[in-house]
Formats: sequence, structure tokens, C-alpha cells
Amino acid sequence: MTNAPTYLPEYIMFGLIASSMVVAAVRVVTTKNVVHAALWLVLVLGGVAGLFILLASEFTAITQVLVYIGAIVVLFLFGIMLTRAPLGKSADLDNNVAQRIVGALVGLSLLGVMVYGLVNRWSDQKIELVGSSTRQLGQTTEQISDSIFSTYLVPFEVVSVLLLAALIGAIVLARRD
Amino acid sequence: MLAAVAPILAQIAPGGFQGPPVNWVAFSPEVVLTATLVVVVLVDVFTERYDKGAINTLAGIGVLLSLLFVGVVVVTANNSESMFGGAYVVDNFALIMKALFLLSGYVVILISTNYIGEGDYWEGEYYQLILASVLGMLVMASARDLISIFIALELLSIPAYMLAAWRKRDLKSDEAGMKYYLMGVFATAVMLYGMSLLYGLTGDTLLTKINAAISTGTKPPAILILAVIFVLVGFGFKVSAVPFHTWAPDTYEGAPTPVTAFLAVASKAAGFVALMNLVFIGFLGRADIVQPLMWALSALTMTVGNLIALRQTNVVRMFAYSGVAQAGYMLAPLAVAGSSGTDPNVAVRSIVTYLLIYAAMNLGAFAVVIALARKTRSAEITSMSGAFHYAPGLAWCLTIFLTSLAGIPPFGGWFAKFSIFQALFTAATPAGYTLAVLLVVNSVIAAFYYMRVVRVMAFEPADDVDMTPVKVPSSLLVAMGITVVVTVLTGVVPAIVSQFASSASLVGFGG
Repeated sequence: MTNAPTYLPEYIMFGLIASSMVVAAVRVVTTKNVVHAALWLVLVLGGVAGLFILLASEFTAITQVLVYIGAIVVLFLFGIMLTRAPLGKSADLDNNVAQRIVGALVGLSLLGVMVYGLVNRWSDQKIELVGSSTRQLGQTTEQISDSIFSTYLVPFEVVSVLLLAALIGAIVLARRD
Repeated sequence: MLAAVAPILAQIAPGGFQGPPVNWVAFSPEVVLTATLVVVVLVDVFTERYDKGAINTLAGIGVLLSLLFVGVVVVTANNSESMFGGAYVVDNFALIMKALFLLSGYVVILISTNYIGEGDYWEGEYYQLILASVLGMLVMASARDLISIFIALELLSIPAYMLAAWRKRDLKSDEAGMKYYLMGVFATAVMLYGMSLLYGLTGDTLLTKINAAISTGTKPPAILILAVIFVLVGFGFKVSAVPFHTWAPDTYEGAPTPVTAFLAVASKAAGFVALMNLVFIGFLGRADIVQPLMWALSALTMTVGNLIALRQTNVVRMFAYSGVAQAGYMLAPLAVAGSSGTDPNVAVRSIVTYLLIYAAMNLGAFAVVIALARKTRSAEITSMSGAFHYAPGLAWCLTIFLTSLAGIPPFGGWFAKFSIFQALFTAATPAGYTLAVLLVVNSVIAAFYYMRVVRVMAFEPADDVDMTPVKVPSSLLVAMGITVVVTVLTGVVPAIVSQFASSASLVGFGG
């Protein structure tokens, strides 16, 4: 793929978004305040949405914002407030030193293995997004909707049963009796 | 009216979207089960809390009706359907597994009847979640692409997480649900990451296309090894393979016993169906990754499971570890999957045979444990002393199931083990032979702790034991009847089960 065009603006944006995501992700696990952790998470997930926009898949980006930021993080915050968890800094949010070292070691070795695997496979390739230069806004959304109602019709229908079951179970487990 | 709307519609969707062709006969078992779920939800809404008897019956009838439609699919020769471009396949393998899931779902509903009805539980919702979970298993049996497999896994697991915590006021049950949920979510996350890597490597979610894409080249790239391991690990959790088994004992002990039976049989079988689909369709060309991984998982799982089971004093925990060990036996044929020069379907059939017999004997054992616990109110092995005196029928049933689990003829278990050996020896690889030896050693260990329960029931002095006979409710009797008949028949006339299993083939079908 030697003829693939170089996307300089995309590279710059990717660098900015990715580095801010890394910083935010580290803050999620190091901050001593649960609410702050949830808000840092918003930044990480927002960054993912930004990356999807760079890849010209606006539907996935909007879904990312709606589902992760709009629903899941808000649910976290409601959960923290409704369960009377301490809102300020709390010391017992961190594990002891030994556990932290083990956690860091596991995380770093996983990172090493993954980076090796990815670089080993794709480092010498330039990947051109399929038709990204000619794609019009809304085209991927149309493709996604078509495949949801054709190829992936069964998973789509099954998800609705899953939501019903989750709803029923959650009400039973949460209600006072 | 319609004529006026048509041009507007044409403007909104200029592509003229065409729905995919759907064979509704092939879909009928799933449709019937979904309809049952909806009816049960509606009936639940319009009945009083103390009057939920009808729901249990309805759920049972719905499951049997769905089973009937599995038969209809076969009779009307719709048993080689490949829909949605090969993502959803209804073949003999899928239909046999669907029948297994429905039948074990029915037995679980039977053994739940009195347990859930007499305890202080949310009854209607319980059956709704069981039905939803069984529906997920039906979808899993037919799913042949990564997205369908993932969604099916979620539909069968999420109700199970909540069912494990159904005894809400009991801390142990809360612990059971919590542990199962957290470990399950973690395993799912790892598996999803592996799936996304697979998609990135191959550009497709269909298992057949993935196999075609990854089978090239003599040496797999490192990232492919990681992807395959991640995906298989996710299902290793589901079938409680060592070292991903740590949730099983606590969850089995804390969950309501019928739910434990459901997890130990149906849920585990669903995990194996997914593993078989992945290994025999998706990764068949990459035996160099799958075989060593499965060898290690299988060897570890059967040995560790059996050794820890030896030390258990609680019968449900003992069954948990014995279930871990049995999963190890069933993983063994996967370790020879894709060996050159052998028919992979031999391995598929051996696992299907084992699953069918395992379901009957394990569900039966749980049914007896539940029946005995109605009197003893305990699950300790010592509490069963003297059972042969006050409940000879139950004790004999349990003896049959335990003998079968140990693999002693004439009950079904021996044939299940025999078919695993057959698969291992047909492959004729060092990996196969070593696993066969390990399997023999482990069977001996397992026989020791299975027989210990029989010894306690028969010979332990039952001095201050209340000798009044146990009253066994009719639904439990039916459950035990079904499972005893299957266990004995498959042992005496193995042709029945091998007939079924021989029509199951995963490889070379589905295009």
C-alpha cells in the first residue's frame, strides 16, 4: 500500500487525543476521589469517540458518547451519590503497596506483550481506510443500519430479550422486600 | 393511504432495503421459547404474589413445546439451513445441542418447582430468567459468527449471574452472585478484546472466513496467538477450566441448588458448544496454537479439580469440583482437534456424547441432593448418613448417578468416557496418549470420592437420625425418573446416544 496518502492533520489529532487519553486513564486509577475518577473516565471515553470520528465512522462515535458518557458514567455518579459513599478524598481507595506493585507489574507486562504483538504484525504496513477519501457523511451510518437489519438481525433481536431479562432481574435484586 | 406514504418512504430509503430471507421453520424453537417468555411475563403481571403456580407449569409447557419444534425442524427436513450468510446455522449438531439445552432446562424447572415455590423467593421472575438463559443457549448452538456468539453468551450469562444471587437475604448467595458476575465480566472483557483482534486480523466475523484467513502460513504471528488465547480463555471461564475455575465452588455453594444444577449442566454445555464452534470451525487450521493450550487446560482442569474434590465435606462443593474435573475430560478431545489425517468429527461426537450423558447424570444427582435436603436441611456429606434406611429409593438413585459419574459400567458414564478415549486414540498423537493416561488416573481418584458418599449413605451409623421417610414431590420424582432412565439406557444401550451423536458434524458443513 505504498500509494496510500499521508493524513498529516489526522496524525496530529490522533497524537493529541491519544496522549490526553493516556494521561486521563492514569488519573482514573491514581486519583483518591471516586467522583474525580468517574470524571476522568469521561475524558478517556470522549477520546475514544474522537478517534472514531478521525476514522470517519460518525455513528460509532455518537453511540460511544451516548452510551458510555451519557449512560454509564452518569450511572456511576448516581450510584456514588445514592449509596452514600464518601464524596471527598478517601484513603481506603488504594490497595496496599505490595498489591500496587503486583498490579503495576501485571499491567506493564500485558502492555509489553500487546505492544510487541501489534508492532510485530502491523509495523511495516500502511493501512488505508476503505474509501475514506471519497466517503460522504452518513454513509457508514447507512451501512451499519443495513447490516443490523440483514446480516446481524438475530443478534439485534436477541439483544432485546437480553434487555428484558436484565431489567427483570435488576428490579428483583434491587427492590426491597 | 399507503400509496401516499410510499413516495416519502422511497425518499427516506433510496437504496430500497431488502430484508434477509428467513426460514421460519428452522427458527421455530427460538420463536416458541421467546413467545413463552413473553406470555410468562404477562401472566406474572396479572397474578397475585402468592399465586404463581401457573407460571411454573406454563414455563415447563413452553420449553417442551419448543423441544417439540426441534423435532418438527428435523421432520420437515429443515436441518441443513444456513442463514444470514452463514452466521446462523441450523444443522444436526445445533439441533442436538438445542434438544439437550431444552431438556435440561425442563428438568431444572421441575427441580425448581418446590424449592422456589416453598422458599421465600421471587417466583415468576425466576422462571423468566431461566427461560431467557435457555434462549441464549439455543442461539449459541446455531451461532457461527463472533457477534452472534458474543450476544448469545451474554444472554445466557446475565440471567445466570442474577439467579445465583436469588436468595437475596443470604450473604452466601450474594457472594455467589457477586463473584460469578465480577469474574464473568472480566473474562468477557478479555474475550471481547481477543475477538476484536481476530476481526482486525481477518476483517470478518464469520468463523469459516476467519479460519480461511488464519490458516495460511507455517508460523502464526504473535498477535494471532494472543487473540486465540484471549477468546478461548473467555470460554474457559464459562466451563470452569482451571485456572479460571475459582468462582465455581463459592458460586455453586451459595446459589439456590436448582440454579447450581443449571449452571453445572446447561451453562457449562453452552460454553462447550461455543468452544467447539470456535475450535472446530474458527481455528481448525491453527492446531499449533489450539492444541498445546487445550492440552494444558485439560490436564490441569481434570487433575486439580479431582484433587480438591477429594477434600470436600459439602456435597454441593464436591459436585462443583467434580464438575471442574468433568470439564477437564471434555476438554481433552479439543487438544487433538485438527490433527492431520484424522476426522475432526470424531472429537466433536465424543464431546457431544459426553455432554448428553453428563447432563443426565449430573442433573439427576442434584435432584436427589435437593430431595434429601428437604429432610436434612443440610448439604454436608455427613448429613446423608443412614439415607439407605429412611429413603432407599433416593439413595439408590444417587448411587446410580455417582457410579455413572465415576464411569463404572453399566451406567451411562462409562460410555461417555469411552468415547473420549476413542477420540484421543484415533488422533494417535503424544498429546492424545498422555491425556488418555491422565484421564485413567483421574477416574480412579474420582471414583474414590464418589463412592465415599455412597459409603456414608449405606454404612455410617445413623444413630440419632430421624427415620421418617422423605416425602418427594411429584415434580422432583419426574425429574429423577427422566434422568435415571437416560443414565441407565445410555449405559446399557449406548447405540441410542451414539446414533444421535454420529449425525453431529461441525466440520465440512456451513460453507
